[in-house]
Order: sequence, then structure tokens, then C-alpha cells
Amino acid sequence: MNEESAPGELREPADDTDGWRRLDARMLLVHPLETLIRFLPALLALVIFRAGSDQNDRWELYAVPLIVAFGVLRWVTTRYRITAGQIELRRGLFTKQTTTARLDKVRTIDLTAQVHHRLLGLAKVEISTAGGGHDRLVLDSLSVDAGRRLRAELLHRVDPAVTGLPAPTGAPVPADAVPGDAPPPVDDEVLVRLDPSWIRYAPLTVTGLASAAAIVGFASQGFSRFSQERSVFRDGASFVSRLSWWLDVLLLLGVVSLLAVGAYVLTFWGFRLTRNRLGTLHTRRGLLTNRETSIDAARVRGIRLDEPLGLRLAGARRLKVVTSGLLREQGGSDWLCPPAPAGVVTPLALRIRPDEAAVSGPLTPHGPAARRRRMTRALVPATLVAAGLVVARVLWDWHGSLLVLVPMLFVGAVALGRDRYGALGHAVTPDHLVSRHGSLDRQRVVLDRDGIIGWKVEQSFFQRRVGVATLVATTAAGAQHYDVVDVPVEMAYAVLARVSPELSAEFS
Amino acid sequence: MPVPGVWHRGVVEPADVPVASDPVLRDPAHRVSRRAVVMWTFQALVVLAVLLAGQVVWWLVDDAPSRTPHWVVGAVWLVAGAAYAVAMPQWRYRVHRWEATPRAIYTQSGWLWQERRIAPLGRVQTVDLERGPVAQLLGLAAVTVTTASAAGPVTIHGLDLPVARELVEALTAAAVAETGDAT
Repeated sequence: MNEESAPGELREPADDTDGWRRLDARMLLVHPLETLIRFLPALLALVIFRAGSDQNDRWELYAVPLIVAFGVLRWVTTRYRITAGQIELRRGLFTKQTTTARLDKVRTIDLTAQVHHRLLGLAKVEISTAGGGHDRLVLDSLSVDAGRRLRAELLHRVDPAVTGLPAPTGAPVPADAVPGDAPPPVDDEVLVRLDPSWIRYAPLTVTGLASAAAIVGFASQGFSRFSQERSVFRDGASFVSRLSWWLDVLLLLGVVSLLAVGAYVLTFWGFRLTRNRLGTLHTRRGLLTNRETSIDAARVRGIRLDEPLGLRLAGARRLKVVTSGLLREQGGSDWLCPPAPAGVVTPLALRIRPDEAAVSGPLTPHGPAARRRRMTRALVPATLVAAGLVVARVLWDWHGSLLVLVPMLFVGAVALGRDRYGALGHAVTPDHLVSRHGSLDRQRVVLDRDGIIGWKVEQSFFQRRVGVATLVATTAAGAQHYDVVDVPVEMAYAVLARVSPELSAEFS
Repeated sequence: MPVPGVWHRGVVEPADVPVASDPVLRDPAHRVSRRAVVMWTFQALVVLAVLLAGQVVWWLVDDAPSRTPHWVVGAVWLVAGAAYAVAMPQWRYRVHRWEATPRAIYTQSGWLWQERRIAPLGRVQTVDLERGPVAQLLGLAAVTVTTASAAGPVTIHGLDLPVARELVEALTAAAVAETGDAT
């Protein structure tokens, strides 16, 4: 659209006729590097195998020109252009493949730069369009500046003459004038910036713990392999096993916390959320892999306030956006704020969805039947485990001290059930449908009412017996559906009637 | 039996939309075809056949001299399966209902787990008519209406083929009349 207005001094890489552009030539280095990394295990195996034989033929070196040639081929055959309201990507030598996407279907744009990309000043550009998963255009890689310019072209395609707004990006900036870590343009408002002290929340989230557990698991595997051979490991292991149990627990907690902190730093270092005057949300984060995501405001259908148990106890929250066009693997949502104090996250949520009642107002509770169902669900598994412990004690003579766990289990289950009931609630405001549920993973979803494109009222056999239902609002964004769980049937239909009166009147 | 004509009501203008005093929606107007019971029974029999195949394999592979476990396990699933094959289709038939107006489509389905789905036609992306082998033998068809949400396809199983054809035509016409990208 407006790439014609970008003057020639912007040093477009290999701009040729009809507005076709190529990837950055430096990707020729990236490709062999990535291939090398991918085949590293195979190469290592080869080297180890070779050490045992006296054969001297280095035949794997023949692969190098092939890999380089493949990269060159990819560079020569891949082109993209923006024309007539479309972005076109053309690839392939023998089977030419042209992918086109209408610009008004572009939802989000991701710039990802892994370490080797960053060394070369490159970034991978991923453009997601309506329909999610398969409708993605990937440009691997452009120079960071070219990527940012492309992003500006795609997201700011709105004709200033139509909206009456001044040109979104101001005067074109020569590429050399954009340093690697440029501050946002002056007219972008910075909504939130990572405060290093928030790192203290890292061990309190399930994601943090999960990544720590993964690392511990991976390490312990390697550990058990080496422990037979290396005396250091053996001595270390026997040292740890001689310590008293509470020291072991402390040690474990320390290691897990450290790892969670590491994961937090890797993911969120330098986190910054900005919003430009067209309302496009823009995040940047990552220590080694730099990730920039831009989300068109017109595609945002709501926000999700996460209050998992650990964060809640520490007075912290985190914030995600509900939008169409993000990858399903990411749960269709992306970070608007990493774990941070509630005093930061709630005002931020209010700036994105200025609806006090929806973001922090009280919710309608779901009543005694919902409470009983929460209790049943917490107590039945606890009872089963307790019964198992008792049986194990009687039949196989397990240690009696394990029976101490039985009352703890029940106390925990009751607390969990109460907390889960406390979370259940919903609200309908003039613009939003709000639903909250969960304890360990409590989330409050603020969904735009005009983003709701259908309804389901689900009832299991047991729900019918106690007169509750799960009201599901379907949407094209985020998780595709957001549920109001175990709400009394009349209340479910009342919500439906308030949010979609014309649908309700049609069938009542 | 479905009443002739797919639309059962005229257009309701937004201005005279009343918020009903009792907001609980009534049942959708139409039942599906009676022959759907046969189709669901056949589906149940397929499940039973798979179980039977598993049982036969176990019988042939097992070297233990005692055949008692085989008879016990076989009797258990046979009783449960027979109850399923008899009760499920009838239950489903009593639950399954549908209704379409020029504005929206409304269905009710399931048996142990039941659900009602409503989709405004303005949000419809595609309308499909599907006929499996059994449905073809019985002269039945399923109509699926998809919206931009991956969670929201509305399917009506076991429609009489002529009714299904008429419904698809009406829905397609209504969906085409609406503009916008339906998200």
C-alpha cells in the first residue's frame, strides 16, 4: 500500500520490479547455522563413532555445500510484496507457491530474534491472519529495521485521510538512524515496563515451577547417568543424602526458585508494553531471544486477569490479551503484563478496558449447588487417596507416619473447594461479559460483548439434577470459548438474554 | 415430524424485542427424523462389534486354562452394551431438537451430557451437509453450521434429506445476506 511512499534511501534489500522484495542476504548465514544446530546430535554421534574407527573419510563435509546451496536457493526464490491491499509471499523453485493474505485480515505481527539472529541484526517476521493456525506468513529473516518497517506498513495501513489522523509513523526514518534498542516513537504511550523487583514473583507461578521442574528432571537424568562414573557426583549425592530432610527440602526449594527466576528473566527481560495512537498494542520481551508482538486494537476481544494461588497470596497478578489471530499453541493469548503487583496490573487492565465494574467490580456468586459441586470435586479424590493410604497401612504395612497425611488431605481439600467456590462468579456490564473461576489457576476473563458470536448451554446428568448449567460464550478470539461454570439455569438464560436480547427473544 | 417449511416465524424487528420475564428458552420447535433412532442404534452396534473383536482376540491370545474371566468380562460389557444400544438412541431422539429462523439457528442435542447451541446467522461462515454411509441408506443427512469460533459449530444430526436440503438453502441465503467478516 504505502511502500511506494518509502523513499529509495531506505536501502530496501534487493528491491526489484513490481515491488517484490527479498529476504535479508544475511539469512544465508542463519540457515546453515540452524541446520548445524538441528543436526548437532547426529554430528556428535558421528564424531564419537569416528573416534572408534580408523577410517579417515570426512564425507559429512560434502553436506556443507549442499546446505549452503539450499540456503542460497531459498533466498533467491523467496520474495514478498505488498500490493493492492494484499501481502504476497512467493516461494519455491519447481513448485512455485504463492501465499496471499488480505491486509485487513492481518491480526498480529511477531518479530522474533534468537541469539544468532540478533548477532546478525536479523529478525524472523511472522504474520498471522484471521483463521489462526494455518494462515501464517513467515519471513525468515529480514533485517530488524526492515521487519519493523514492514510491521508499520501492515498495521498502519489505515489511510490517514480517512481516519483524519496524522500519518501514524511520522516522517520515514533512514534505516541507519534506528539503533537496535530504539525507544518507542514519542507518540506511543508506554503502558508498562518491567520492574526488576517483580522477578521475586517468578517462583510463585505454575509456569515458573513447571519450567524449573523440567530442568530439574532433565538434569537428574544426566546426573544419574554420570553419578556411577564421576566421584564428584557420587560424593555430592552422598553428601546430600546425609543432610537432614528439612535441609534437603530447603535445598530443593532454593534450586527450583533459582531456575524459575532464570526462566522469568529469559522470558520477560526488558518487557515493555506500548500503545500507539491507533490503539495497536505492542510488546517487546526476552533476554536471549527477543520477541516483539504487535496486536491490532480492532482484533482485541477482551483481557484475561490471571490470579493463580501463589501470585494471589503474594498480592500479584498477571495480564493477558484475548485476541483473534494468535497461535493456538499460545492459548490464543499473549502477555500484556508479566507477574507483577496487583497495584500495577489492575490499573493497566483499566487502561486497556476502561470498565471498572468488569475489571475489578464484584461478581454474582453461583449459589449453593455450585458450592456443593466444588466440595464434591475436592473431597472425592482426597477420600480415595486417604482410603488408599489406610489400605496400604493395613495390607502392606506402610509406615504409620503416612497416616498423618490423611487429615492434612481433608483440610487441604476443603480449603481448595472453598477457594474454588469463592472464585466462581460472573457479571454483565454494558460492554463486557465477565467470568471468573479456578483456584490454583484462577482467571477472570473480561470478554467484549460484541466479540461473542454464539452460545452454548451445557448440562451434564448431575448438573441437570441440581439445576445448574455451564454457559459457554463462543468467540473467534483467544481460547475460542469462555465459560460461566455451574451457574443456576435461570441465571444462565438471564445472562444470555441480557447480552444477546434479540437471540433470546427469538426462542423464548 | 418436522413441520413443512424451515422458517417457522416471521422476522422480529430489534425494536420490539422484549426481555422475557422468564428468560429460560423453550425447546427448539422441531424433532429430527424418527429414522435417526435406527442410525444411532447402528452406531451403538459398531461400538459393541469393536468390543466383541477385542474379546475374541483376548480369547485366542490368552493361554491360561481357565476361561471364567472371559465369560465374566464378556457378560459385563454385553449387559452394559445392550442397555446402551437400547436406551441411548431413544434418549437421544427425545433430546435432539432444532429450529432455524431468518436470524438464528438453535439446537438441542446429547443424552447424558446435553447442550443447547445458538448461533446468530450473521456470524455464520459455512453451511455443510454431510451424509455418512448409514445416513445415506436411511435417507438422512446432518447439517453443520460453522462460525468463526473453533468452539462453535452447530450440527443437527439425523435430518430427513429433503428437510436438510431446504435448511441448507435457507441458511446459505441468510448467511450470504449478511456482510462483515463474521468475527
